[in-house]
Amino acid sequence: MSDIYDVATRSLKLAEKCGADEAEFYFSSSKLTSANVRKNTIEGAKELVSEGIGIRIAINGALGYASTNIISRIDDVVRTAVKSARVRESDPDWSSLPSNSDYPDVSNVFSDQINNIGLGECIDLTQQMIEGATSIPDIIVTSGSFSRSVGNQLILNTNGVEIEDHGTAVSGFVDVITTGDNISTAYDYSISRNLDIDFSAIGRNAADLALASINGIPIETHRTNVIFHPFAFSDILESTFLPSIDADNVQKGRSSLIGKLGEELTVPELTLVDDGTLSGGIETSVSDEEGTPSQRTTVVGNGVLDSYLYDSYTAGKDNVNSTGNAVRNSYVSNPSVGTRNFIIEYPPSDIISDTDGGVFVNTVIGAHTANSISGDFSVEARNAFTIKNGQIDKPIKSLMISGNIFEMLKNVTGAGYDVKKAGGMVTPSIRIKNVNVVG
Amino acid sequence: MSEVDFYDARIIDGTITSIVLDNGKIEEISTNYTRGCGVRALCGGSWGFTSAEGDFDLQSTIASASELAKGMDTKASQEKISLIPAPPPAITDLPVVAIDPADISIEEKVQLLKDLDQHARVEGVNSTSAVYSESSVKLQYMSSEGIECEYELTRIGFAVTSIATENGVYQAGRESRFGVCGYELFDKHDVFELARSAGNTAVELLNASAPKGGSLPVILDPELAGVFAHEAVGHASEADLVLEGSSILENKIGEQIASPMINIIDDPTLHEYGYFPFDSEGMEARKTTIIEDGVLNSYLHSRETAAHLGGIAGHSRAQGYSMPVVRMSNTYIDNGDAEFEEMLEVIGNGMYLIGSRGGQVNTGEGVFQFNAEKGYMIENGEIGALLRDVSLSGQTLEILNNVTMVGNDLKMNSGRCGKSGQLVPVSDGSPHISISKALVGGS
Repeated sequence: MSDIYDVATRSLKLAEKCGADEAEFYFSSSKLTSANVRKNTIEGAKELVSEGIGIRIAINGALGYASTNIISRIDDVVRTAVKSARVRESDPDWSSLPSNSDYPDVSNVFSDQINNIGLGECIDLTQQMIEGATSIPDIIVTSGSFSRSVGNQLILNTNGVEIEDHGTAVSGFVDVITTGDNISTAYDYSISRNLDIDFSAIGRNAADLALASINGIPIETHRTNVIFHPFAFSDILESTFLPSIDADNVQKGRSSLIGKLGEELTVPELTLVDDGTLSGGIETSVSDEEGTPSQRTTVVGNGVLDSYLYDSYTAGKDNVNSTGNAVRNSYVSNPSVGTRNFIIEYPPSDIISDTDGGVFVNTVIGAHTANSISGDFSVEARNAFTIKNGQIDKPIKSLMISGNIFEMLKNVTGAGYDVKKAGGMVTPSIRIKNVNVVG
Repeated sequence: MSEVDFYDARIIDGTITSIVLDNGKIEEISTNYTRGCGVRALCGGSWGFTSAEGDFDLQSTIASASELAKGMDTKASQEKISLIPAPPPAITDLPVVAIDPADISIEEKVQLLKDLDQHARVEGVNSTSAVYSESSVKLQYMSSEGIECEYELTRIGFAVTSIATENGVYQAGRESRFGVCGYELFDKHDVFELARSAGNTAVELLNASAPKGGSLPVILDPELAGVFAHEAVGHASEADLVLEGSSILENKIGEQIASPMINIIDDPTLHEYGYFPFDSEGMEARKTTIIEDGVLNSYLHSRETAAHLGGIAGHSRAQGYSMPVVRMSNTYIDNGDAEFEEMLEVIGNGMYLIGSRGGQVNTGEGVFQFNAEKGYMIENGEIGALLRDVSLSGQTLEILNNVTMVGNDLKMNSGRCGKSGQLVPVSDGSPHISISKALVGGS
């Protein structure tokens, strides 16, 4: 990384020489190795080596941005960023780039084992997923993937921030289909910062679920208890609730939670936390992606809305501190507000056996079509089952679920012990009463 | 490199500029200079793929992909993959750029976007956003079979979104136009009128009601029917999905799968947003008729899937320097002869669904779900009350068979399609279509 420090220092100097009040150098690099599965066989391996630089410039409260992956063009990039800052009018809401601060210790985010894994072992682990699935009769793995990645990040700015981060991750995913007359599909996946995934179980789980889902029965449209598996719940929450706690949406009038801080938002047993420091969390790192230290933020504490999520820009606008929620899609883009590890906490119980009647939904499709402002959504439930007298009863052929996330969070009545990492979302199965199911 | 059976490389150089306006204020101006390559190597039955960015060394990238392919072939040997022959592509009829966006100052682009934003802010609209993007990309292709070809392409477009709020209800309207052309795109369309219509939609939806769910006759507008053609039929016709057992259209070539009124086509040679002169395997672009008079005529193929199933390649695409996969380009339901008025009259009572807020489909089971931007009740052949939060779901084949009328007013819409984690520019379209029975969801 020492070469890149030189490039960073040089480009910050050039930026100041060109008239920048503040400048930020963001570098990320990653190496990703993956194996893809199609129809029970590994069809190929990939290695993606990526690196790039983004330059953010502030002049008189106006921001400019430019980026490249051609390090030899860095001077052009600095000048283009300065030029685009000069086109813009001064932004009265701009305060400043983050300053140097104390960073938390984070644990379980880098694994030497993942870093050093060879192609042979990647293939073995992929094979374990396929064998896990095909150990169950009448199952074909239609597609799947294994991947492992190693990433580095470096942020330097003219306010003294100089922070490096390194992380690893490994993940497995399979999608299976049954081969009998009655077709059903299912998927399962798992992701971790350490090499501690049971790859065979990913295959078995998907296969078991697909088989259990065949010969589905139709059901009548009605209102009932619905238990959402972590995959289903996190999918819905991501498209409906998360946009509304983004301070940028709140400030721009695009959130249903404007002016609701301190109000009772959900049942009192529910607590929602954003945590960039969670040990082994998928979104864990020492800082966010503009150099603000990662932290733990209670968004909803015992049912009450405590905080929105901020990056440094939105925090300056509300005169509060950034919550360490600046994220970037890649070095190509400006940072914006995004969640880190988002944790759903609710007192656990044996929720299925507690449920007299209702529906269990494993996954949903179409969550991204939700109305991210109003929280209204309508999704197709997949691998759904009826619950009768505390037990999973019969598979359901076709089912739509519609509702409003804010109403649903007032109707949460239980959570399971089965906490899962669905990407950065960490949640158990969640039971909600009085949900509209359309048969 | 003598041990691999085949390799090819795509080298891409591009400059991408985007401007984002939020409530009339510039939120972002950014430029990205990018260079990279994607290399595939085939050894026996295994593909190796390597991408590298920036100041890469092509020979060592080829070597790395070859190592992966050979390693895979040794570790997990599979049935040999064959590829259909690739004649060198003829590159003709490239879209003409009348006004090079690089000749327009950044100040002028910002001003245009501000004017658009102003028009989207009709009375009742509380907030707006507008995006401008342009890219100019040079793509070079080379293969171990001696093919070398290249093209340059400019893409440009904009999107505006208006949001209206009243009594805690939020509604959005959105319009966009993207194309393979230059800055003249903004003269080709009445862009200010489009921006105004985004604003009007948001405001109107405030007073719309949500429908009761149920099964009923529907008319789909060209945008939503186009999304259906792309999502439900187009994806299921992608031969890689067929081969992996994830398509409801598997083993159905030559079968009547739709109403005889239905013709669905994918045509990358159209100068629409999904245009390309040759695909990511150097195959010349050509029109493919997926469904002809209701009969499944062809899947969409890469060189590998075409060798496997029989067919014509030319639908292999990649985002940037990613691994190519079988993709659509410009996909549409072709014109029939019905007038829209006639469709309303025949349907009598039902629902008219308009626009799309995205959709998703399970191609293996042939089920889909789309959310319309808005809808109207149809009562006694007349358009009635406005509806919001309307969704359409059902079985792809059932819907295809339930089509009772196809309009004569084909319209294309531009967008980006995601598959295998890659986004590529596409367009889709249709005339109005009438369906005897479909499942409509509301709240």
